[in-house]
Amino acid sequence: MPGALSSLKIIEIGEMISAPYASKLMADLGADVIKIERPGIGDRARTRGPFPGGSAHPEKSGLFLYLNANKRGVTLDLNKSAAMELLEKVAADADLLIHNISPPDMDRIGFNFERFRKINPRLVMTSITPYGVTGPHRDWRAEDLTLWCAGGICAINGGGMDHPEMPPLKTFGDQSGFQGGVHGAVAALGAVMAAMRDGEGQHVDVSIQEALAAQLELFFEFWPYAGLIANRLGRKPIQPVESLQCKDGWIYVCCVEEHQWRGFVEVMGNPDWANEEVFSDRFKRAENWVALKIFLEEWLSQQTVIDLYRKVQAKRVPFAPVSTMGDLLNSEHLKARGFFVEINHPVAGNQKYPGAPCKYGGTPWAIRMPAPVLGQHNQQIFGDRLGLSASRLTELKKAGVI
Amino acid sequence: MSKRPLEGIKVADFTWVWAGPYCTLQLAHLGADVIRIETRTRPCITRVIPPWPDGKPGGLNRSGYFNQYNQGKRSITLNFKQPAAHEVARKLIAKSDVVVNNFAHGVMDKMGFGYEAVRKIRPDIVMISLSGYGDTGPYRDFIAYGPAQVPLSGLSSLTGYKGWPPMHSGFSYADPNAGAHGAFAIIAALIHRQKTGEGQYIDMSQWESMMALLPEGILQYTFNGEEPERLGNTDPTMAPHGVFRCLDRPEKIAGHTIDQFVAIACADDAEWARVAKAIGRPELATDPKFATLKSRKQNENELEQIISAWTATQRAADVAEMLQKSHIAASVVADNKFLSEEDAHLPERDYWVYKTHPEVGVKQHAGVPWRMSRTETSVREAAPLIGQHTEEVLTELLGYSAEEVASIRSQGALE
Repeated sequence: MPGALSSLKIIEIGEMISAPYASKLMADLGADVIKIERPGIGDRARTRGPFPGGSAHPEKSGLFLYLNANKRGVTLDLNKSAAMELLEKVAADADLLIHNISPPDMDRIGFNFERFRKINPRLVMTSITPYGVTGPHRDWRAEDLTLWCAGGICAINGGGMDHPEMPPLKTFGDQSGFQGGVHGAVAALGAVMAAMRDGEGQHVDVSIQEALAAQLELFFEFWPYAGLIANRLGRKPIQPVESLQCKDGWIYVCCVEEHQWRGFVEVMGNPDWANEEVFSDRFKRAENWVALKIFLEEWLSQQTVIDLYRKVQAKRVPFAPVSTMGDLLNSEHLKARGFFVEINHPVAGNQKYPGAPCKYGGTPWAIRMPAPVLGQHNQQIFGDRLGLSASRLTELKKAGVI
Repeated sequence: MSKRPLEGIKVADFTWVWAGPYCTLQLAHLGADVIRIETRTRPCITRVIPPWPDGKPGGLNRSGYFNQYNQGKRSITLNFKQPAAHEVARKLIAKSDVVVNNFAHGVMDKMGFGYEAVRKIRPDIVMISLSGYGDTGPYRDFIAYGPAQVPLSGLSSLTGYKGWPPMHSGFSYADPNAGAHGAFAIIAALIHRQKTGEGQYIDMSQWESMMALLPEGILQYTFNGEEPERLGNTDPTMAPHGVFRCLDRPEKIAGHTIDQFVAIACADDAEWARVAKAIGRPELATDPKFATLKSRKQNENELEQIISAWTATQRAADVAEMLQKSHIAASVVADNKFLSEEDAHLPERDYWVYKTHPEVGVKQHAGVPWRMSRTETSVREAAPLIGQHTEEVLTELLGYSAEEVASIRSQGALE
């Protein structure tokens, strides 16, 4: 059975995470993805690791290997006009061209939708950029940290009431890139459906800042609705909803509803302090959190995470472990669901990676091939498919085009 | 402009709270007709918690939380304690292309709308469940709350200041993340349906869709058996890389001083030379303590103190502008007030939505994070009042007569 997107031909010109994650989501559902990298250097994700054994190697970067399995890889230096011509040839029968070239670089190398539309009117071109391709900040530089801040997320995370001296805090990893990727993939596939209907493609301009500002839960609307600034310093209105330490690790104590608190109190064996007036409802427990925390920490210090997790869950109380990476790999639940997958790469070897974000009942999610080594499919795509002769390929290679 | 990409696609939206509504919001943004199935007997929690207009609580239609994540959708009310409500839902499913829910595993089955039942009504349906743990595995009946999914996923143990305890992400990140991944999965399944005529069921675990975002942490463990250290705002391959306190906002908010911060990320030595020049300390570019990435990482505390001493005399927005002129990644650490009133870029892109809502009037809401050159991209309507479209959907879409609707209503099935 072919994957849900096995009819799609996609070209990705991506660095790091956003566009590569978008095309990974599609490649894992069977789409034919050709990834274009810079000759000699390749995608910057090749330098990020983690690396097996800790020593950097462009074919062993975990981030790159994870994001680019199921893709074929070619090299093109898009600063050179001969490379742009080859790209146009590859794009002539594609459904989607997805990239994260920055707007000033797009201008500089003449990378624009009009150019590709002329060769392939059905083509959807999706640009995933930090601030979008229009507006006063279109040319602004960005890294994950600065984007996570520009989108409003860092402001609501950090030391909190107890530690106003600590700064706003970024979330681990390159989450801006992933959110740009998944939102870009949603928009791109939507435009592909429109192209299937209308026989005509279009340009899709995805702004990562906008995708982040759309995810601020109830925090953004506090200003337009109530004139309140939402930030990391506010005290939580209800408690306990905190990560706290057990004997062997951390657990997220989560009592949002009163029945959940009562369930937890039963698991704790109904200690006298839990029935004090100052802890009698979730708002009072927040007002008196400093005292409550001391009682909870003392009791929790005698508990193991997994036992407590099972005991409170049996009473429908939504605690969760603060999972370490080892916890994830050893989780009986994730094992039973077969979440982690092995990918065997000719240079990096056989390793375990995160698997499918969801399970499709009718069509497969599958790893069909490992990430390409740099320029692995130049011969296959430029030679076999576009019909370039061996001597022409050598010439292009010498000229630094491929 | 041409028709929206998903124009004509009908979504029976059984979702509530955030993950599911965020998923169907993406479909509404793409033009699908999303019909939220609600009940007054147990309203969506986002209808009954803040933020409230002018801080005055009350009503089922006034919360900024609901009104943000349900823009462009329709709402009908059905009370499933009444058999007539089930009949209406069956008719709606028969007319739908997609069914979405984010209940715990098994709830839709108990309601009589599990996949097998739904497929009998509409054989080519695309159905997705966005549950906390997924539909299989020993924890499938565990209860999941948005904030707890972040630590469960592994993200909290990776996030935090150096040497500090695990920290949260500050918002229930697993919800919108599952919602966006779910919207992608639905469209992929619709493309497959268009080619083959086949629908399918999608089992999305919020936990698993979060782990898809953590390869850098997970692979340190699978490659090398290491649990990653928490790195605060720093980065192994960039320095300076952090957020720095600036001049306070001139005003105080409710008695509190709200500090302003600026984020700066400096990718290489050439960029560092430009930062040093911008802060009026060009000699630091060649200072052996800071000249190379390696030396800047070794002396990162001192480096951060130097930057902080400078930013303390500047306004954050000025620092960001100035560094961006030198092609350095920098941004204000935007809070909701800054985004709403001071960010100069988003209004120029027409990002914000100002639709008239019958009970709260015109409020600023976050809009669609993409633009399309050929097909219409905009939010169609403000979020619906609870049950606003019950009559309209039952008569126009499902073909009930006004008398039939009155009869169903009199049974209490439309509460």
